[in-house]
Formats: sequence, C-alpha cells, structure tokens
Amino acid sequence: MTDTPTPDAPTPDGPTPDPSATSADRERDVRAADPDGPEEVQPLEPPDPVDEQPVAPDEVQPTETDGPEEVQPLEPPDPVEEEPEPFADGPPPLPTPMLVLDGELSEAAQPEPAPDVDHGTCRCGGAYDADGWCTRCGEKRPDPRDHFSARPTARVAAVCDRGIRHTANEDAMAVWAEEDGDGGVRAALVVCDGVSSAARSAEASLAAAYAALEVLTSSDAGPDERLVLATDAAARAVAEVGEEFPDAAPSCTYVAAVVEGGTASVGSVGDSRAYWLPETGEPRRLTRDDSVAEEQVEAGLDRPTAESGPLAHTITRWLGPDSPDHAPETVTVDVTAPGWLLLCSDGLWNYASEAQDLDAVLRAEQERVGQDPLALGQALVGWANGRGGVDNITVALVRTGAGPTPEVSGTAYPATGRADESVPAEPGQDGPHG
Amino acid sequence: MAEFTTTVHQNEFLPDGGTDVHAIVSVTCTGAGTVAPMSSASGEAGEIIIVDVSGSMDVQGVQAAAYAASAALDQIVDGVWFAIVAGNHEAALCYPNGMSAAMARMSAQTRLEAKRSLQRLAPGGGTAMGRWLLAAGQLFGTVPSLTKRHAILLTDGANQHETPDELSWAIEQVRGRFEVDCRGLGAAWQVAEVRRIAEALMGTVDLIRTWEGLPEDFAQLMQQSMGRGVSDTQLRVWAPQGAEVLFVKQVSPTLEDLSARRVEVNPLTGGYDTGAWGDETRDYHVAVRLAPKAIGQEQLAARVQLAVGSDVRAQGLVKARWSADSLLTAQISPEVAHYTGQTELASAIQDGLRAKAIGDDATATSKLGRAVQLARETGDEAATSRLSRVVDIEDASTGRVRLRRNVDKLDEMELDTASTKTTRVRPS
Repeated sequence: MTDTPTPDAPTPDGPTPDPSATSADRERDVRAADPDGPEEVQPLEPPDPVDEQPVAPDEVQPTETDGPEEVQPLEPPDPVEEEPEPFADGPPPLPTPMLVLDGELSEAAQPEPAPDVDHGTCRCGGAYDADGWCTRCGEKRPDPRDHFSARPTARVAAVCDRGIRHTANEDAMAVWAEEDGDGGVRAALVVCDGVSSAARSAEASLAAAYAALEVLTSSDAGPDERLVLATDAAARAVAEVGEEFPDAAPSCTYVAAVVEGGTASVGSVGDSRAYWLPETGEPRRLTRDDSVAEEQVEAGLDRPTAESGPLAHTITRWLGPDSPDHAPETVTVDVTAPGWLLLCSDGLWNYASEAQDLDAVLRAEQERVGQDPLALGQALVGWANGRGGVDNITVALVRTGAGPTPEVSGTAYPATGRADESVPAEPGQDGPHG
Repeated sequence: MAEFTTTVHQNEFLPDGGTDVHAIVSVTCTGAGTVAPMSSASGEAGEIIIVDVSGSMDVQGVQAAAYAASAALDQIVDGVWFAIVAGNHEAALCYPNGMSAAMARMSAQTRLEAKRSLQRLAPGGGTAMGRWLLAAGQLFGTVPSLTKRHAILLTDGANQHETPDELSWAIEQVRGRFEVDCRGLGAAWQVAEVRRIAEALMGTVDLIRTWEGLPEDFAQLMQQSMGRGVSDTQLRVWAPQGAEVLFVKQVSPTLEDLSARRVEVNPLTGGYDTGAWGDETRDYHVAVRLAPKAIGQEQLAARVQLAVGSDVRAQGLVKARWSADSLLTAQISPEVAHYTGQTELASAIQDGLRAKAIGDDATATSKLGRAVQLARETGDEAATSRLSRVVDIEDASTGRVRLRRNVDKLDEMELDTASTKTTRVRPS
C-alpha cells in the first residue's frame, strides 16, 4: 500500500506500519491504486537486518535501500522474464524492503462453452442426450417397444402398451388381415404376455407372436390345426431366446385367433384371453385361463376373490422350457353377426374380467371414439391406464359382420408391423368393402 | 489420466403432485496424480503462502510462521510457481525478492532463496485480509498458464483494518481465481470471518491451537495440494426447463453450499467450481423442484456432471417418477437423510455458538441441545465429543443439555470450525 507516507512526503527510513491505524485513517485502499502511475514502494520493515542475516547488504546493490523506491506500474501479466536466474556465483542478494502489492487483478478467463452432440430431437423441440433423455424437458426418448400398434385393415387393429407401473413392456402382439371380397375379413391375431419374473421375456413374447403369426398366415392346414402348429412355433421361438439364459428362462402366455368365413378359431395357453362381444346377444369369454385363480373359481371360489388373491396371476401353463405342456385349448365361434372379437392380456381384463363388464366398457368407449378398431384399441388401453395401468396392456380387435362399417381413418399400417403410430406406413386402403 | 465416477443415491418416486427431488451424488476421482508442473498441456500449478505478520503475532509467532512456511516450501514440487506474501494491514511480497509483482518457479535454488527471504518477516502492523487476498490474486495473474491456483492463509487475529464490507468486496474480486485453505492461530481470530473467506474460495478453515502445531499443518496442507493433480474442474447441474434448482451443496468431506457459486454453462445448466481434485470422494446434495406430472410419468430431474475444462468426465442422472404407491414414495434415501441431518447439525452448532456469544443462553442451550441430538442420530461421535466440551450432555436422545461454565475458548472455536466437517453414511 502506498498511503502512508504520502508520495510527496516520503519518510527516509521507511515507516513501520502503525498497528493502531484504523480503517478510517486509511483513506486509500487497494482499489484506489493507480495502475498507470508510478508506485511508491514502502519497506514493510525498517531496513534493519536481523543479526543472522546471511548476506551482507553491500554484496550486491540492486536497489536503493535508504528510501522509497520508484517502480513501474504493476502490470500483470508478464511472467516469463520474472523467472529467477539460477545463481552462478554465490547466493543472490536480498533486497531488504519488500514490495507492497497493490492487488491489481488481471482479467478473469471466461469458461469455454460446451460442445453439443446430436442424439435426436424430443417432441418439445429439445435435443436428446446420449442416454435418451431430453436436454430441454427431461423426458425419456420413447422406446418403440413401450407402445406400438398395427391396423392392417379398417376392421382389424391391435395396440400394445407398457402401462403405467411397469418399467418395461413384456407384452407383444402381431396381427394380419385382409378383406375377403365378400364384405368380410380374414385375420390372424396373436397376443403374448411375457412373464416378468423371467429374463428377456420382452424379447421372448415378441418372438413368439411373430413366429405364431408366420405359421397362421402361411400354413394350409385347417384353423384348429394351424393354431396348434403356430403354438409349437411360438414355443420354439421362446426356447431359442431362452437358450442364452438357462437359469432364468423367458416365458410367455399365448392367445391366437384365426378369423375366416365368418368363423373365429381361438387357442390359448396361460391367462391371456379372447372375448366375443356381439352387438346383440350374450357377450362371451372364449378362453379358459391356465391359472390358479381359474382353478379356484372352478372349485367354487367367487371370481373377484380368486382374481384379486395372492395367486391371481400365477399361471399353470405357459410357453417356455419348464412348462408342463403347451397344447392350446381351442374353441370355435360363429362371428358372422356384427360385433367385436377381442384378444387381450391381463393388463386389460384385470379391470373388467367378466364378459359383460368388458362388453360394457367396450360399448362405452365405442360410443366415445367410434368403430375404428385402432381408435377403439387405443381407447381401451387408455381406459386401463386410467384405472392404474398396473400391468402391460395389449388389445387386438376384429370388427365382425357386414353391418355398419367402420369409418375410414385414411391411413393404414403394415399388416404385421411393429410400426409406431407416429410412423404412418402406406396410404389408406380403399376403405371397407360392402 | 484421472478418472471420475459418480453414484446417485435417491428415491426417484414422487407422490401425486410431488415436486421436490433430492439426491446425493457421490463423485470419486482416481488416478489424479500429483500436480504436473512442467506439462504445458494440462496447465501449471501455483502456490502462494500468506503469513500474518501483524504485531500480535509477536516475534515468536512470526518465527513459527516462517518455520511453517518453510515446511510448506519443502512440499512444493519443483517446477510449481510460488510466492510468499507477508500480510498485516498491507500485503507485501516476501518472495520473489524483485520489485515487481511476480511468482517464481520452484527449484533447489529458489527454495533456498525463499527460505532465506522468510528471515525478512518481522511482526508489526494490523490485519487486512482482503488486501492479502487481492495481493494473491494479483500474483496469480502474473502467470497466465496456471490452471491450478492454491494459497494457504495464516492469521491470528480479527480483520481490524478493514470493514466487513471491504473484506466482502475483496473476496468477490478474487472469487474463482484461486483456492484458499485458511488457518487461524490461537484464540483471537474470528471463526465466522475466516470461514467466509474459506467458503468463498473453496478452501478449508481450521484452528491451530498453538504455534507449535503450525509447521506440521502447513506441510500437510501443501502435500495435499500437491496431490491434487486435477484442476479446472466444475460440477455441472442441469435441470429441465421450468424446473428450479433449489440448492447444490457439497456435503462431504465438508459442508459447503455451492449454490451461490453458480455460473451459467447454458440456460439450463449451472457450473459450480469444485477446486482441484486428488484421489478422493466428494458427496453433493442436489435438490430440484419440478412441475408435477401425472402418476406413471417419468422424467429426468437433473444431470449432475463433473467437467474438467470443457470435457465432461462423469455424469449421474437424477430421476423422478410419479407413483400412487405410497410404499415407494414414502421412502427417504438413507444418504439424503444422513446429510440432511449433518447439515442441520452444522447450523445448530453455529447458531448455538452465536447465541452463546451474545449471552442468549436460552437459544444457545436449545440449539446446542438439538446439535447433540443430531450428532447422536447421524452417528457423528467426533461432533458429540467436541460438543461435550462446551455443554454438559444430560440426555443426548432428547437433546437435553446445560451450558458449561468456564469453557476453554479454543474448545468453543474448535467446535465452530469443525462444524462443517461431516461424517459419511455408515454402511448399513
């Protein structure tokens, strides 16, 4: 500091700073130091070397020691030349007065901006990061496996959804359909529900659904035999996925339907279901669950109690290596009347198990969204999610009969697509026949 | 090269309408190496030793400070830039000897010169720590290639020759320019005042009871600094648009609220300077307030990253998921609970001692009682031991205490300075 003594009244021998000085006494502070003007340097100490000072003051004389020093302004930075020279001939001198630092600060360095990397764009417009989280709103990039749908014709659609509670979607579905030229529809539908206690069930259920649909749409056998062959193919597909995991083999349920000539043939293993919900007449469940709950009901327990009990979702048969058998129980039903053939996983029927209850839900949703099978499937999934969505939810629908035709939505989806709804495939087919 | 890893401890489940997400993010550095003085790629290291030479230090104290500085010099690796500042109501450059602000590179010769120049130190004058800090900032500024700047500041008295505002102003001028570990010698310095410096400048504050303890402490401090080979590090916290970062605190090994240190990396990301890293683990408590979403929705609540320069080396993800399942949403992460308790413990100790200092015994008893209770709950035996030298503990579980009479001032100061040292979660 340069405040005492003032530059125009230097003290020859340098002052000892006054310990009693108050801040009020000290009018100038570091901020006031003028970096452009010469600095007065005051020795901190009287130039009175201590006794054991090893260097004689007269050995070298780099500075005057008997008065204030004139120095150049303390302009940082100029570092390199300040590096001390190694001393070649003996220790260097000690200038007795110490430089009083004026505290003049250099410009602070600015942090560099972080580079951005492109990992895709969220619906909010923000960019996804490498982990698939939006860098603006924080949403997770949707996993196509979590929600997918298909609508091969204006009468047939299926929706598969993760639900709310589960972190993965282990349900799967695959559907195929075409108009039969007589105002009717030919269709094949498969719904599989992966068993969440086993590893890789999400892959297993999807492999099973696609393997089964492949058989259902290519075999020349009759419907019932086709269902058996398709079940075998599905079981093989599950086993192949499971080969990598001998300890926790993946497993899944299976329900499939073949619709042609006004008849539906249905086969199932496990607790995924098929319902026949005609516009007029009695709604029916077509499948019998392979489950402890079903056995309890058959033994006399009331269905709501059995299906909410601790073993409600314990199945007794499934597709997987350790299943007792996988021969599907098959049933055939006349579906010439207007109505809906509905296949679903327990994620839906958990909330409406009895056929008349599910029928009421479907009618209410149809009232709301109309007869488009995709819109209705989405509505039913939405309804189940509204009830809690505790499990994965899959719904496959066929609009039957020559009656009122569904509205044409204008777009269709690949017959067996994994297509996400946000990716319309082909332009609309030419609407329903009739 | 140093590697950073992160671990996130949190309960990501929020109840319907829940907004606040708390997480403890542990960041561990391995392979930090020592400071690399000759490497121009990673930048260079600078050390400044600031010793109090005010009149109160007396000849003996200044001599001890010189010994301590000398011990610290022995720990500075050759090639590191360094300087020694003598502080009283002014700040003078003790070493290098030249007549312009400069630092020197450590070598056998400069170490010897520096030790010799310590003989110039003699007691006299007052105390103006703000000027010492500005002087250190000035000196560091003379070597633009420095990426690691660290100082040790020794004081023995209150900051009598500056107003609190002047000190605050000086602290703000040098904030982010270097780190300072502060040491208070004896019982005449103000813990709160020095803590203010240490907290702003990312350093520690500690009490040295008598000058005999100084050289060892200085050597240890400098050794630790030399072991912190990773500098220019920043904790970055991203929160989604519309969210609010409630706070970012370091909670281990010491408590430091970093919130005020935030600089904008981008509109959604704040950067918090962490100072240099050695091989160590530090825990951070991050709290974010989100706009609530529907049951079943999931989102990222915060990205917590450790960046060296502009290079992100590690990332931890803090998530939020809304659930109707109260079994999930009611759980509190043990780590969050522990550090919340340790934070409250530090406040209770500081508030209690402040009340005691102004003679408000009722508040002091209640606050220190709460501190005893929290120390017990969080298993902080060291805090319990320090508290027991200031209060008589009648019942730790309920926090019933009596203020002790004739408390050693140093015990009280030690309780205060150590209040921000936390314990880690006990393995369950």
